[in-house]
Amino acid sequence: MNSPNEPPAIERVLFTAEQIDVRIREVAAQISADFAGRELKLVAVLKGSVFFLTALARHITVPLRVDFLAISHFTNQPGAPGVVRISKDLDDAIEGEHVLLVEDIVDTGFTTRYLLQNLAGRGPASLGICTLLDRTSRRIAKTNINYSCFEIPDRFVVGFGLDHKQLYRNLDCIAVIKPE
Amino acid sequence: MAIISVSGDPGCAQEDLSRAIAQRCGFELVIPRTLEESIRADFGGQEIPDRAWPPLLRSAIGRLAVDRHVVYSLEGGERLFHGFPGVLRILLIAPPSRRIGAVMVDRQLDREAAKQFLKHWETEILAERKRRFGRSHARLHEFDLILNDNHQTPEMLASVVDAAIQSRGLLDEGMLSAAAEAQVQFQARLQLAKFGLTPPDLAAAERNGFGHPTEEIFARLLDFYRIEWQYEPRSFPLQWDKDGHVMEAFTPDFFLPAFDLYVELTTMKQALVTKKNRKIRLLRTIYPHVNIQVFYQKDIQDLIVKYELSERAASH
Repeated sequence: MNSPNEPPAIERVLFTAEQIDVRIREVAAQISADFAGRELKLVAVLKGSVFFLTALARHITVPLRVDFLAISHFTNQPGAPGVVRISKDLDDAIEGEHVLLVEDIVDTGFTTRYLLQNLAGRGPASLGICTLLDRTSRRIAKTNINYSCFEIPDRFVVGFGLDHKQLYRNLDCIAVIKPE
Repeated sequence: MAIISVSGDPGCAQEDLSRAIAQRCGFELVIPRTLEESIRADFGGQEIPDRAWPPLLRSAIGRLAVDRHVVYSLEGGERLFHGFPGVLRILLIAPPSRRIGAVMVDRQLDREAAKQFLKHWETEILAERKRRFGRSHARLHEFDLILNDNHQTPEMLASVVDAAIQSRGLLDEGMLSAAAEAQVQFQARLQLAKFGLTPPDLAAAERNGFGHPTEEIFARLLDFYRIEWQYEPRSFPLQWDKDGHVMEAFTPDFFLPAFDLYVELTTMKQALVTKKNRKIRLLRTIYPHVNIQVFYQKDIQDLIVKYELSERAASH
């Protein structure tokens, strides 16, 4: 098996570690300014968003809390869950809080739409989205994204939390993989 | 027969619950908007009086219930099969905060605007109920089951409905008999005669036969995310001859009402999609108000990799 850090499946690097760091600092500064004087809760979706959340949170200057949730994934296998559901819920309520949903990538928008619908029903004071990657070319569910680090082309990417068959999450860059 | 009607306050997840019931219990999901559009098409633009809608919908759904169990979500739908055996009427409720939250997300509004939108929406729905059914508010005693969707997913609520179906023995009663269906149609004809209308011969909502395995997988993906879809609901004429006959048309694979979006899936290689791209360009030129999203082979392959789906679909 190939080492995740020496991936022959990588076609090219899309964003280097340095580019990612610079952009995350910019977005974190924008969030800090927008939420000045308020407390913020970052909600990340396991597993891919964790890498982005930790990098982002380190550069946000307003007081913040973090929480995590996970959802069931679609598969075409018999016996798999028929509809999306929360498989790991938030530890704490978000009623009256300023919540930012932290995503690794917004693609078709299906998952984000579901999560927003679910979280909005819990009565947060405000609810926004911050995504590392925004792939608008395949967007179906229209989603108002408040903060986006990079818009990406119509290619399958890995790294910085994004996986291919659970590999490559630990790459410090974002890279396009070769078609199988 | 088993017919389930799901009603609810604006902002509740009636359609999501109907879809979850259809999936869990193997019922046919009837989408009223589709049904209404096809009924309008059957009457060829003739104006349909508000009070004619209940018998028209009853007639169309009654036809379907002859050979399948049916679930539908429709405002005032609990009144359609009032007094019939084998019917389960569900009312879905939720606290205002949840319904406002749903509107915030669906319409991308802030809380105050969502509140106003919901208020206006409620007024419209009450007025429509009044026009069609002669009464603006539902009566609680007309429901068999009242569910609260706060903190409960449609899947969880569908399991409660499933238990109700089992305990009532609804499935054991079988489908709507030919005689009972004839009775439904007779009553509908009688009521429609007052408006000078005759029910159409065929109900339009039929089963979806997919042309390609990828389409079926895509439909399941939409179901998974509880996104309402219609399969090939409309063809768009693109070229006409000098007599006005349609020479060329394009039929997108899916329509997603929630996003007012058509979706076309193509599994052909990129080099072979020129003809299809030309059609899509024509469609966008002739029908600029129509939103269409095209998924090419590599998009579909990415979805297949992302969701680790069957390779069978990719190879077709």
